[in-house]
Amino acid sequence: MSLQATLAIAVFVAAYIFIATERIPRVAASLGGAALMVVIGATGAEEAFFAEETGIDWNVIFLLLGMMIIVSVLRQTGLFEFLAIWAAKRARAEPFRVMVMLVLITALASALLDNVTTVLLVAPVTLLVCERLGINPIPYLLAEVMASNIGGTATLIGDPPNIIIASRANLSFNDFVVNLAPIVVILLVVYIGMCRVMFAKSFKYDAARAQRVMALHERDAITNPTLLWRSLLVLTLVLVGFVLHSALHVEPSIVAMLGAGVLVAVSRLTSDSYLADVEWETLVFFAGLFIMVGSLVNVGVIEQLGTAATDAVGDRYLLAATGLLFGSAVLSGVVDNIPYVATMSPLVAGLVAAGGGNPQANALWWALALGADLGGNATAVGASANVVVTGIAARNGHPISFWEFTKYGMIVTAVTVTLAWPYLWLRYYL
Amino acid sequence: MRASDLAEQIPTVTRETDALEAARLIAEHRLASLVVADGNGLPVAVIPGTQVLKLVVPRYVREDPALAHVYDEAGADEICAALRGRTVAALLDADDVRTLALPSVLPDDTLVEIAAVMVDRHSPVVVVRDREGRYSGAITFARTMAAIAAAAGEPVDGFHDGSDGTAA
Repeated sequence: MSLQATLAIAVFVAAYIFIATERIPRVAASLGGAALMVVIGATGAEEAFFAEETGIDWNVIFLLLGMMIIVSVLRQTGLFEFLAIWAAKRARAEPFRVMVMLVLITALASALLDNVTTVLLVAPVTLLVCERLGINPIPYLLAEVMASNIGGTATLIGDPPNIIIASRANLSFNDFVVNLAPIVVILLVVYIGMCRVMFAKSFKYDAARAQRVMALHERDAITNPTLLWRSLLVLTLVLVGFVLHSALHVEPSIVAMLGAGVLVAVSRLTSDSYLADVEWETLVFFAGLFIMVGSLVNVGVIEQLGTAATDAVGDRYLLAATGLLFGSAVLSGVVDNIPYVATMSPLVAGLVAAGGGNPQANALWWALALGADLGGNATAVGASANVVVTGIAARNGHPISFWEFTKYGMIVTAVTVTLAWPYLWLRYYL
Repeated sequence: MRASDLAEQIPTVTRETDALEAARLIAEHRLASLVVADGNGLPVAVIPGTQVLKLVVPRYVREDPALAHVYDEAGADEICAALRGRTVAALLDADDVRTLALPSVLPDDTLVEIAAVMVDRHSPVVVVRDREGRYSGAITFARTMAAIAAAAGEPVDGFHDGSDGTAA
């Protein structure tokens, strides 16, 4: 191995440790690592900015940006507040039924929007409903964030790791729906049963308190009906665009940016409003990450690892899928699943390419997605949405300790990942 | 007019002051802000009036203002009743409440210097301290505006500076 390759590995590992331990902001670690890759000659302007294989994946960046802008507008409509309170009232404010409704809404919304955004929208209204019911909101917040991570697994746009996988594997929106949505539906049904058992002490019903929920005026949450209808129309068109993007030969990133552009035009909001939910730090973090991983590709490290992985796997794809599923779940619980998937994608791409179109090799992508997405539930730092929800809970006087989250997260991850394995086996390897 | 002419004793609260008592103080004295004093009774911080309202509005409503619309009248009254039993410390300790360190002016500072400090520090109150740090009173935004109007030839009813030794 060349000195440059050794240096590139050292820079990458150091940056990864900083990202995982959060000793410095992850953006600084990512950009610092990218800068050092330039300094050691592992990458340059051409490779970093203009090369599809070794540079910033602009499809990922602009898909995220487009969806963030759409969400920025959508959240101004009060739609989520309306839906959550409407659902609680439909459940007659009976605590378990309320939890089921909130879990379903969160899972569905997470499949269509970013997980972080979804929990940001659902958590405050959950706190309100729980306050009205006079019950502890922590089980409800935990149930929602884990439902968000499960629901987000179902689609290309549901979870950032899926966006990276889709771009690197050239998979369509429909590929994700067809291959992942069925198991996600099964997992959600099982998960709701688990919630009933795990949070059994949280469903005490009080008729007087339930009446306080029934007295809420959910329609008043919608302050701008015109904006709501326009947003829903554009969101529907964007989803249709995602479904048809392969047939139309249009990248999902283009669909998202067109949707964002139309929504900005018809919403007549100020730039402060429609850019409010754009997480610039996340986008820059992604850019630095892609440059670092691309640098490893440039200096041949990924190729060597890919060759070693291909030799080790041979045609034992079920074994590889099993390793990817469970290994990704464990690692995603410890480190953020975004850098993990960004790193693993070139390796899995090598394995899939070596398979020469073998469907069993192609299915490795689904093993990676299921492991990384579902593994995010394992600990309080496994996914960005977990961090956001524990933060909201703490700010509202209901701190959730790392271990309290992990206690439930480990169980949910173990059950969901274990159930995902027979799905993979039956569908792709039997 | 100098700062020493405008300085007066203003009502203050401490960390331990009950929130209901603080609300009564604001209402009775028509205060635009709440001045917090230390254990020795000396003003140390100011909480702008709108920030004081955060004692009433739940954090989740502050983070998602659309939720404020969904309460009925009885529900809204219940939320306001939650003020009972809380203290000023809840405000001082909340990370989203903008509490200002109380800026100070010198006794011989002019109206322009007082106004400049208020503008610069976004503070509706300044304290008057001499170079040795001795506290001699505070000047509110309302009193500063009254003094400015008087200096411009438009006396305000009830305003009287303390240049003759008696502050209004």
